[in-house]
Amino acid sequence: MKEVVKLHIPDGYLGPYTCAFFYLIMIPIWYKAFRWLKNLKPSQVPLLGVLTAFSFLVMMYNMPVPGGTTAHIVGGTIIAILISPWAATVSLTIVLLIQALFFGDGGITTYAANVFNMGVVLPFVGYYTYRFLTRRLKLNEIVSAGIGAYVGIVTAAIMAGIELGIQPYLQPGYCPYPLRVSVPAMAIAHLVTAGPAAAVVTAAVVWYVKKSRPDLFAMRTITKTRG
Amino acid sequence: MDRVTKTLLAIVGVMIILSPIGILLVWNYSDAWGEWDVNTVEQMVGQKLPGMEKLADIWNHAVLPDYNVPGWEDKLHASIGYIISAVVGTALVIFLYYALVRFVVGKGASS
Repeated sequence: MKEVVKLHIPDGYLGPYTCAFFYLIMIPIWYKAFRWLKNLKPSQVPLLGVLTAFSFLVMMYNMPVPGGTTAHIVGGTIIAILISPWAATVSLTIVLLIQALFFGDGGITTYAANVFNMGVVLPFVGYYTYRFLTRRLKLNEIVSAGIGAYVGIVTAAIMAGIELGIQPYLQPGYCPYPLRVSVPAMAIAHLVTAGPAAAVVTAAVVWYVKKSRPDLFAMRTITKTRG
Repeated sequence: MDRVTKTLLAIVGVMIILSPIGILLVWNYSDAWGEWDVNTVEQMVGQKLPGMEKLADIWNHAVLPDYNVPGWEDKLHASIGYIISAVVGTALVIFLYYALVRFVVGKGASS
């Protein structure tokens, strides 16, 4: 049996209660994230724009997962580390909306859940993992960025697996697979394929930016300590 | 625009051109994409899923469904359709981003 191994949950897989729950959860998060945009420095405006485009495109690179499914990376941790996890929430809110409306990728009813997984869980877990490793364990920034991206995407995948897997218990008729099937399926694809890819890409981008614009990193630190 | 943004913009351009890799690498995997329609899932689990049936097609106005021009099925056409989707998607994402920045921050910030 093959599984849905996509971070994008399509319409029909989540019941109305789950969908409504995530729209409710996302309202205050969206409010906070959009307001956060005011903290964006003028020089960061084009940077976040191009990173948003990067996130859209990087998700088009489907990678084969052993067992016959595919996975892709998201780019959320890159944005979180280079600018802020709130910036990543804004980016993914935009990207997932365009993907759902114009390309039928993801869903309308599941939109808020998808934004929560990829635009909140992923960048915040990725960012705080990175921050813990660099600040507490004094680990190398580039290695920490890679590990952060890995942990971020795997956590988001498990989160999606949980949302899918609780459906049979909540209300039958939607995603038919229980937790013991959906969580491992989501986790494994991201542990073996998307996770390592996210780690390498994130580490490479952070390495490049740190090398050519160390001031961006300094700026980020100041923004963070203030906010 | 600073050097990092310029480089990333160049990377975005290269990613658009090379985007067909994203479908060609997984060409034989296509039926396992999680793009299954309701009927396939119902067959696999051997039960009816009325909720999924009702919600699955709630939105069928996607202009480029599955990042392709409808009907462009072979590898070459699908690759071209994929590049078109990459261009359209990138343009839409950047447009919406600047619209949002303008809306929240006001005019001065989006230069």
